Parts: sequence; structure tokens; C-alpha cells
Amino acid sequence: MDGIVELQRQLIDYTASLFHEGFLDEQFNQLQQLEDENNPGFVVEVVTLFFEDADRLLNELTKALGQPSVDFKSLDAHVHQLKGSSSSIGAHRIHRVCISFRNSCEEQNVEGCLKNLQQVKHEYSLVKDRLETLFRMEQQILNAGGSVRR
Amino acid sequence: MAESKDEIHFESSECSPASTSPMGGKHRYLFHRLCSSWDKSISLKGRRIFHRDVEKEEFQYASSHCLTSYYSVFVVRLAIMIMLAILIGLLTILTWHFTKIYTTKSLNSLAYGLRYELLQRPVLRMWNILNSTSEITTAQVKLSQYVIRRYSNPANQAEQVEQLYEAMRAITWSLFASRKALNSITINYKNGFVQAFHRDLKDNNTFYIYSDLANYSMGASNSNEINSFSTHQAWDDKALHGNYSAIWYREPLDPVSGEKIGKAMKIAPEDLINIAGFSQVPDGVASWHVAVSKFTDSPLLSAALPVWDSSNKTIMAVVGVTTALYSVGQLMRELVELHSGHMYLTSQEGYLLATSTSAPLLANSTKPKLKMAVDCEDDVIRHGAEWLQRTYGNNFPPSHEVHVENVKLGHQRYYIDSFFLKLKRLPLVGVIIIPRKYIMGQVDERAFKTLVILISASLCILVIGCVCILILTNGVSKEMNLRAELINQLEARRKAEASSNYKSQFLANMSHELRTPMAAVIGLLDILISDDCLTNEQYSTVTQIRKCSTALLRLLNNILDLSKVESGKLVLEDAEFDLGRELEGLVDMFSVQCINHNVETVLDLSDDMPKVVRGDSARVVQIFANLINNSIKFTPSGHIILRGWCGNRNSSVGSPNFHLDQKKSRSLQKCREKPNANHSKKTSLKDNKVILWFEVDDTGCGIDPSKWDSVFESFEQADPSTTRLHGGTGLGLCIVRNLVNKMGGDIKVVKKEGPGTLMRLCLILSAPMDVIEQQCAVDLTENGLVVLLAQQGNMGRLITSKWLQKNGVCTMEASDWNGLTQVLRELFHARSSVHNTDFDAHYPAKEELKSKLLNIRDMRNPVFVIVVDMGLLDLSTDIWKEQLNFLHRYFGRAKFVWVLNHDTSNTIKMEIRRKGHVLMVNKPLYKAKMIHILDAVIKERNLELQRKNMTAPRMKEGDLHEFLEIDSTHFEAASSDDSDISEVGGSNHVSADGDKPVEKVAKSHPSSPYHMNNSLVNENEYLEEHNMGKEESSSPSSSYGTEDNQPKSQSTKESSISTEDQDEDSECGETQRVTSSSKAVDGKKSLEGLKILLAEDTPVLQRVATIMLEKMGAAVVAVGDGQQAVEALGCMFPAEDRRRESLQKGITPYDLILMDCQMPKMDGYEATKAIRKSEVGTGLHIPIVALTAHAMSCDEAKCLEVGMDAYLTKPIDFKMMVSTILSLTKRTS
Repeated sequence: MDGIVELQRQLIDYTASLFHEGFLDEQFNQLQQLEDENNPGFVVEVVTLFFEDADRLLNELTKALGQPSVDFKSLDAHVHQLKGSSSSIGAHRIHRVCISFRNSCEEQNVEGCLKNLQQVKHEYSLVKDRLETLFRMEQQILNAGGSVRR
Repeated sequence: MAESKDEIHFESSECSPASTSPMGGKHRYLFHRLCSSWDKSISLKGRRIFHRDVEKEEFQYASSHCLTSYYSVFVVRLAIMIMLAILIGLLTILTWHFTKIYTTKSLNSLAYGLRYELLQRPVLRMWNILNSTSEITTAQVKLSQYVIRRYSNPANQAEQVEQLYEAMRAITWSLFASRKALNSITINYKNGFVQAFHRDLKDNNTFYIYSDLANYSMGASNSNEINSFSTHQAWDDKALHGNYSAIWYREPLDPVSGEKIGKAMKIAPEDLINIAGFSQVPDGVASWHVAVSKFTDSPLLSAALPVWDSSNKTIMAVVGVTTALYSVGQLMRELVELHSGHMYLTSQEGYLLATSTSAPLLANSTKPKLKMAVDCEDDVIRHGAEWLQRTYGNNFPPSHEVHVENVKLGHQRYYIDSFFLKLKRLPLVGVIIIPRKYIMGQVDERAFKTLVILISASLCILVIGCVCILILTNGVSKEMNLRAELINQLEARRKAEASSNYKSQFLANMSHELRTPMAAVIGLLDILISDDCLTNEQYSTVTQIRKCSTALLRLLNNILDLSKVESGKLVLEDAEFDLGRELEGLVDMFSVQCINHNVETVLDLSDDMPKVVRGDSARVVQIFANLINNSIKFTPSGHIILRGWCGNRNSSVGSPNFHLDQKKSRSLQKCREKPNANHSKKTSLKDNKVILWFEVDDTGCGIDPSKWDSVFESFEQADPSTTRLHGGTGLGLCIVRNLVNKMGGDIKVVKKEGPGTLMRLCLILSAPMDVIEQQCAVDLTENGLVVLLAQQGNMGRLITSKWLQKNGVCTMEASDWNGLTQVLRELFHARSSVHNTDFDAHYPAKEELKSKLLNIRDMRNPVFVIVVDMGLLDLSTDIWKEQLNFLHRYFGRAKFVWVLNHDTSNTIKMEIRRKGHVLMVNKPLYKAKMIHILDAVIKERNLELQRKNMTAPRMKEGDLHEFLEIDSTHFEAASSDDSDISEVGGSNHVSADGDKPVEKVAKSHPSSPYHMNNSLVNENEYLEEHNMGKEESSSPSSSYGTEDNQPKSQSTKESSISTEDQDEDSECGETQRVTSSSKAVDGKKSLEGLKILLAEDTPVLQRVATIMLEKMGAAVVAVGDGQQAVEALGCMFPAEDRRRESLQKGITPYDLILMDCQMPKMDGYEATKAIRKSEVGTGLHIPIVALTAHAMSCDEAKCLEVGMDAYLTKPIDFKMMVSTILSLTKRTS
């Protein structure tokens, strides 16, 4: 039982650190609140959706920026989508980078776009890593018979 | 072209003083100016082109470039300047030359003529003299020949000789007498006898001179002499003078008659005059020469002619005639007197013959002798002669004519001209020396003067021209400077505008970022509020925090909007709102701040204020928030009163306010972006314009009257030290004034009595007609209320009491504990012993109080309400418990209302509550709270009365007290039973039949300002009444009744679509109220039964939104893009007729559409347009709510333009979404 409590504390600390470091924002809380008996694993589902979506979008972005003549309009649309979905799950840092990415798109600044793409990818991998860790910890607790909900 | 011209002017003006100026400093200064002006003109051009981007580069460019350009330009200017100077100089010289040379030439030719003429005349005279001399001589010769021939008979020689001499003498005399100019006539006979006449010009004597006759016999020597003569052919003078040693006699004669008037006298040979001898006519022809004589001081011209015998073989005698040249000199003198100058005649050898001066012509040492011209005593003549000799020496030009000008003799310049008179035997040279001054003097002087005048005039012109140009170009350069400045200014303005644009852009971009953490804070607070384990106090604190957070968020939005104000894009909302409630909330908020300041915050709104007005609630609140904030800052103690009253209503037809209305309507027209502008305009036509006056009155340090106007300027503070003391930027009042002006009102500082500041402002708001009348719903007069106000704050108490009295409620006041006890005692003791006659004696109260007491006594069945300020109790020690107990004694007879401080400790509250005192309000106490207190009291009493009537219909009147007491104990018991529950009464109550989310909603219920403000509505009473039975008219639903009107009227389109966070509160409250009312039906899921179409391309968002909505009980259909959304709508009505059919039934496929704006294939705008288009003619209107990631209001405008009804920003806020959906579906259903 102590192990579970310990794990739960770790989870809380870890979540708090994620918030503190700005990876997540209050929107993620809302997501967690939405999860209930009717929708078990809702957060994981949404985040997985986000991962798929983001993977797709990042591929598109990489492809679009690899073209000799960059179609900034479609680029912008993709970034916009990424921004929307990241803000929906509360991936705050991606969201922030997306904003500057869009600015670069508006300026038609290929250099800036590439830089931002790198940054988005970086942030995305970080967030993905963190969230997967988070889910793993939750899973551990659940497996141990504890409850992840506070 | 013009520019280059300018530059030339520039140059000439700048250079010339520079070049003439001897001072180096000035020189450098001018040079600097010169360069700087050039630099400016360069940088002027440069700036236009480069300024935007390369400011710094330009500076460097200019500094490196300018040095070389300085010098080249300087040199060019100098050159042009010099050329100008040369031009002017040339003109001057030419003018001078032409005037001078021409006159000189003509004068010279004239002068030459004159000189020639002058010289000619003495020469002519000379010629005349010569002529006459030769004539006389010839005549004498002819006569002599005749006489000699007559008397040449040898026979009677002796007599004949006598006769001959006699005859000769007579003839000669006649000739001599006839010519006065003659000096002498001599006849020298062959035999040596001489006859002569001589005129001494000095003493005017005439002499006859002859040699001794006795020595000569004509006959004796005649042949001899003739022979010798014929052999020698010549006599020499020796024979005449020396060898013969003849004796000469002189006879003075009468000059006229020739008679002998004296004795003949011998004369010495040296006194003898020149006698012409044979030597003078060696070849027998006439000879001329110049001679001198003792008797005259002028040279004599002597001519000699031989007298031949009849055969022309031998010379019989020699006739000599001498003439003085005196007259020539005289003539010269005359001429010179007339014309000035000098003249002289010389012989070819240079001997002076005549001069124009009176200098002696002869060197008179021992024997008179001719002088050379160079030895003349007259300086001028001598110098002239010397000069001639020096120049020409003996090599005179062939004609001997010399014309020389400008010869310097002595100190003067002269003209020298000489003429040569070629006589056969006596060549003459005439010289005239005329001082140049005489002829050219005037001309020279004039020429010099002209030159001087010309030079000075041209210098003047140069200087004046330079000065003029300097002045002129000064103006030009000044203008150029100004123009450069202007361009700079324009540039700066453009930059400032651009930067302000950037700023607002930045703010717009930041808005989202700023709002997110705030939303997080608020959300977390909501979570905290929904937490069960909070005590009531914690709960209220958290609520307060949430409120402040909301205020902060509001502030954030205001900052955003202020950037809009600055760029002139501020759009005032036009929505209905409860002005009173907003202000009460404001005062509540500020009263918390004021606790530490010992300042009383009082709200004093008059009854005629319209309850609901149209306008921008956020801005109005902002105005007062700023003003009150300002007042608090400067008020260390005392009170702050916010007064409000209504100006003349129905003023829309009144002329004085017409312009204000116009202004208002103009500002309305301006707001194109405003949601449903036409709608609001339509409503505003129905509305009444109301002028609302407000005053914010504080007792602070006040503002100096001179600063009354300037405090409203931005960054302006009445006293600079305030920044140090109180902080702040000085922007608050500026914002206030801007907003007030925008609302068509005015604000100013008004003079007030006593310390502090009084700001008065008026706002023009429109009040909807239908709502105006419903105010002051509770009729207080009929209920026989007696209110005892025991409050610390004087102003608040006074105002409340005044208001109550105005509404027919009897009031009494007490400011401290002692006063309270006294009044209580009076009131109740006097009342219990109705006929207490000692009353007056015991309590010498004031007349006013007495009359009040009497009034109260007369009152039938009065209800006492005692308002007790927590501040009256002594909280520092435990005395407050005793005080409480003391008051508790009156509990049955009066209703106690406790005015709590914000920091009132929980134990006190518990204690009070334990004693059954349930009416508690937070400070400050204002009208609305009072109304509710009294309302509650009246209701309670009515309840009791009813119960009393039911249980004991015929109760005596005297039992009332007892009954009340019983009732109150019963009340107390009932309340104490669930006193624990009462803490969380609402939640418990709800949780009984509701589940979690609803509980949360209900829990956050009191967080709405409305409930905060009316926090007196305590759950106990609510429960009580609820339990008491629903048959009562004062059921909860009816108690909410008045408010229920409001959300309904508010849930019109324009209020619900506004996504401003400041509306969130009211929205939430509204939602919760709606929720609670819908709770009666279901109580669980507020969106139950709604069919919602969600168009969202991002799978994540789609999922989240779906879950959110489903949680609320809505049925959600999610589609991926706009195209699908339109199809989803369309597929419900594949055929037009069916669609119409369904329309007639009033069935819509979906109750609402949530539409993402940016989607692939067809975006939200397009989809909405398509849907709206398909709806045309059907009268159907599916509410469409936009979902967008943009936080700017322009997106909002765009959304509304295409026909969407509301607008939600991502990330989706749960509560916002629910409230928006509810407001839209409610209206349609």
C-alpha cells in the first residue's frame, strides 16, 4: 500500500513538474476532469490521437519545407492545425512554438520556418516522452490497484 | 534647377563674409554653417530614401562623405564668389575707363589746338616785327641810294657831302620818327662817317649820333677808300671801332619834331649802340641777327642792308635797323596771363629771345649778352629747356616740332610743345609749357572722383548684395531646416504609428498568452471552490480570490482594449446590464481593500436610478474602479462615497442634450464591428437616454485647483511625489476621461467643502423602457419597520438611515456600543412598560429621538431590525461574548442583522450563528443589501403571522410577543439542528438529488457577484422555507423571480455572444441559475436532449469537445470539415418538400452547430455561409457557434458577419461553452 502511495506521490510530483516546466497547461487538467467512468482512458485516447495527428502534421511540414518552392499557405494551415490540437491537449510549449512558426510562415521566412520546425519536433519529442512516462506511471499505479484520480 | 540656384546664392552669401572676415573663429563658424547646410541638404535627400531602414549606415555614410564634399563645395563656392567680384570690378573699371579716356582724348585734341594757337601768335608777332623791320630797312636803303646818287658829283664834293649828310639825316629822321617801334637806324658811310638815330626805350629819349666830321673828308679818302674797298671788298669793324678811333657825338633830340634840344656830347665807345658795319654785309646781301644793347633789357633784332651805288658795283653805305623784341615778350605775357603756362622763343642755338615771364633775358655781367634758355632764371622755363635738351639733345626732330604731354617738371606735370619757325637768316624755336593741371586738372580730378565713387558704389553694392543674399538664404536655409524637421517629424510620427501598430499587434498576439494562465488560475480556483473540505470562510476567501482574478483578467482585457482606444478602434458594447449590481460588486471589492486603510466605502445610489441600463458594463465598471482606486490611494482615513443619481429622464427630446445624443448615435454608427450593431440600434431607438450623474467623493489629500484639468492628462499626477508615495503611472484618470467622453459624458473635479476630492461625471446610457419601472420591489412603508443602525462608519450609517427614512422606515442610530445599549434600553424597556412616566427623566434624550420613540410607540405591531456592526463589539478581549449575550436578550423582540467585517474571525461567526442569528452581511452595507434584509425580515414575519393565523386564529394581540419568542426559539432550534449542514447547506441539499458536476456548478453558484452581493440570503432560511412547504408564495423560485427576469432578458443574442471574460461572471451566474432551474426538471445534465453537430478537423479537439458535450448530456455528431457539416444538415432533408414539412413541424435536425473556423476543404466561414444560404426563406435559424484559435475581436466580427451566432476561443472553456450553448438553445426553444 505504501508503494502505491509512493507511486501516487511520484505521479503528482511529476505532473506538477510538467505543469511547472510549462509542458502542460490548464487545458490538460480539463481533459483529466473529463475522464470518468463513462469515458475511461479518455486522456490517453485523446493524447494518442494527438500523437498520431502531430506525427502526420510534422511529416507534412517536413515534406512541405523540403520542396524547392515552399507553399506557405498550406504550411500555415498545417501549423494552425498543430497549434489547435496541441492547445486542446494543453501541450503548452508546442503551442507556443507554433505561434512563432506561424509568424515565420506569414513572413515567408524559410529559415525561420525550418528553425521552428526543428523546435516543434524537439518539443514534440519531449512532450511525447513526458506524457508517455506519465501514462506509464499511471498504468503502474492502476496495475498496483491504486487510483490515479486525486 | 531651383535647388542649384539656391545653392549658388547660398554660396555667395556664405563665402563672401567668410573670405572677407579676418577672424578665424568666425570663419570657421561660417564654414561650419556652410558645410552643415550642405550636409543637411544631402541628408535630406538621403533621409527620404534611406531613413526607413538604414539609419545608422546613413550617419556613417554622411560623416565620411561629408568631409570631401565640404572642401569641394567650399572651393566651388569660393570660385563663383571670386568670379562675381571680378565681374563687378570689371564693370567698374570699364565704366571708369570709358568716361575718363574719352574725355581725355577730346580734351587733349582741344588742348593741342589751344597750345598751337597760343604759340602761333607770338611767332606771328615776331614775323610781323621782322617784316616791318625789313620793310623799314629796305625803304631806308632805297632812300639812301637816291640821296647818295644825287649828291655823288665829285665837283663840289665838300658842299655836296655836307648836303648829302643833311639830306640823309632828314630822310632818316623821317623814317625813324614814323616807326616808333624802331630802336635805331644807322647809316655807315663808306668813308666811315656814321649817322644814327637811337631811341632809348628806358628813359624815352631820342638821340642823334654821329661821328666827327672833321676827320673825314669825303674827297680825300674817297678814292683811296673806294679802291681799298674795291680791293678788299669789305670793311671791318675794327676800322670802324678801333683803328679809326673816331669821336662820337650824341645829340638829344625832341622825340616828335627832331629838333635838337641839347648839346652834342661825346660818348664813350662802350656806350655806343650797335652800328651796322660793312662786316655785316660781306656778300652784299641783307643780314639779320640778334643783338643786345645796353639801353634795353630785351634783345634786339637788327637788320643790315648795303646801299649800292648806281652802277651796283660798290657799296656806298650800310644801313642798319634794330627793333626791340620787347613787344613779343609783352604779347606772350598777355597770352600767358590769359591761359597760364609759360612760353619762350629761342634762336636755333638756344638763346632766349622772348619769354612770357619778366625774368631778364640778358646776362648783364659787364656787357649785355644773350642767355641760353637753360640758364633762364624762371624755373619752369629752365626746367623745360633742360628737359628738352636732356631728351633730345641736339637731335631735334627735323621739323623741330615737339609735342609732349605729362612732363614732370618740378612737382607738376606739364605739356611741352615746341614749334620751329624757319626764317632764312634767323631760325626761331618757340616753346610753350602749359601745366597739365590747367587743361586736364578738372578732368583728372573728375576722373579720380568718378573712380572713387564707382569703386565705393560697387563695394557698397557688393556688400549690400551679400547681406541681402545672406538674409535671403538664411530664410531659405531656415525653411529647409524646417522642412527637414517636418520630414523628421513625419517620419517619427510614421514610426510611432508603426510602433503603436506593432504594439497593438503584439498585444493582440499576447492576449491569448496572457489569458491562458489567468484562465488556469480561475479554473484552479473553481476546482478549489468545488472542493468539499473548505470551511465557509475559506470558501468566501477563495471566492474573493476568484473574483479578484476575474478582475485581473478583466484588466488584461482592458489593457488590450485600451490599445484599441489609442488606435481609435475601441468599440463600446451595447448590452443591458444591472448598473446597481455592478457598482455594488465594485464597492464590495474595494471595501476589502479599504479595511487596512481605515476608510469607509459607501455606495449611495438614489432610487430613481434605472436598474437596468444599456451600455458597456465593463467600461462603466472600469471607470468607477479607476476612480475609486484613485481615491483609495489618496485617502488615508475617512470615507469614499460613490453617489449616483439620475439626471432628467426622457431627455432624448430635450434640446440641451441633443448634441449629446447625436454624439452617442454617431459613436453607435461608428461601431461597425460591433455585434448586431443594427439590432442594438433598433433597440436604442426604443430606449430612453438617461443621463446618470455620479460623484466620487473622498476625504483624501485633495487636488490643487490648478491641476483640476491636468490630472486627466496621461502620465499626469497632481503631485510628482505621489509616484513615490503611492505608485501608479497616472494613466488611470486619463483612461477614465477617455471612456467617459466616449460614452458621451463628461468628467471634472468639483469644488467641495472640507478636505478631499469630489469628482463628478455624467454618463449617457440608455435605459430600456420595459425595465425601468420595476425597481424597489419591496414596499417598506406598510410593514411598520423600525431599524436601529448601530454602525461605526458615520457616512454609511447616515446615508442608509436617510434612505430608509425616505422610504418611510423609522430609523434610529448608534455609533458605538454605549449608544447602542442606551437606545436598546430606551426602546424596549420603554416599550415593555408602556406607560413609563419616568422615561423622560431617566433618559434625557434629544427631542428628535424622543419624537421617534413616541412614533414607534404609536406604531402598531412594529418589527425591530437591529443592524449591528461587528466593529462595535470589543473583539480584542473576551468582552464580545458578554456583549453578544447582552444583545441576545433582545433576540426575540428584534431581528438582528450582523454586519461582518471581512476579517471577522470564524469563532465569532460560529458563536453568533449558534445563538440563532442568521442574518449576516458583509461590509459594506448598502441599499440593495438593506432591501434584502428587510425583505427577508418581512417575509419571515409574514410567515410567522400566517402560521400564527393558522395555528391560533384568534390569538390576542398581547400574546404576540410571547408567540414571537416561542417562534424564535423554535427557529433557533431548527437552525441549530442543522447548523453544521448549514455551512454547506446548498451543496448538501443539491447533493441529495444531484451528482458531481451539477454539484460543482451549484457550488460555484454563490461565486457569482449577485450572490456575493446578496450573501445575506442564507441557506438556513432558504432551507427553512423550502422545508416549510411549497405552497408558500415566497418559495425559492419566486425569490429568484426578480432575477429570473434578468437572465432572460440578458440572454439575448448580443450579450451571449460576447466572449469577453468580464461577462463570464454573469454568464456563469446565469448558467448556474439556469442550471439550477433546469435542475428541477433533471438536475443532472444541462444539455440533456440537445443535438449538437460538431465540425472540427483536428481529431484531438473533436474528441475533447465531444466528450465535454456528451458529459453534459448532449448528443453529438462530429464531422471532419465544413463540407461534411453542410452535408450532414442536408442529408437530414434530402428532399426539399420533406424539409419544408419538417420545418412546418418545427423540427430542426440539430439544435446547434459548433463550427471550427479553419478546416480543410471547406472552412467554417464558407460552411456557415452555405448553411445560412440554404436557410433563406425557411425562417429557420440553426445557431452556429464558431470555434477559433484567434483571440482577436476582428475574428469575432468576421464570424458574426458570415452569420454565426456566437464565438468561442480555443482552447474550449468548459463553462463558457455550456453557457453559450444554453443561451442559444434557450432562445430558440
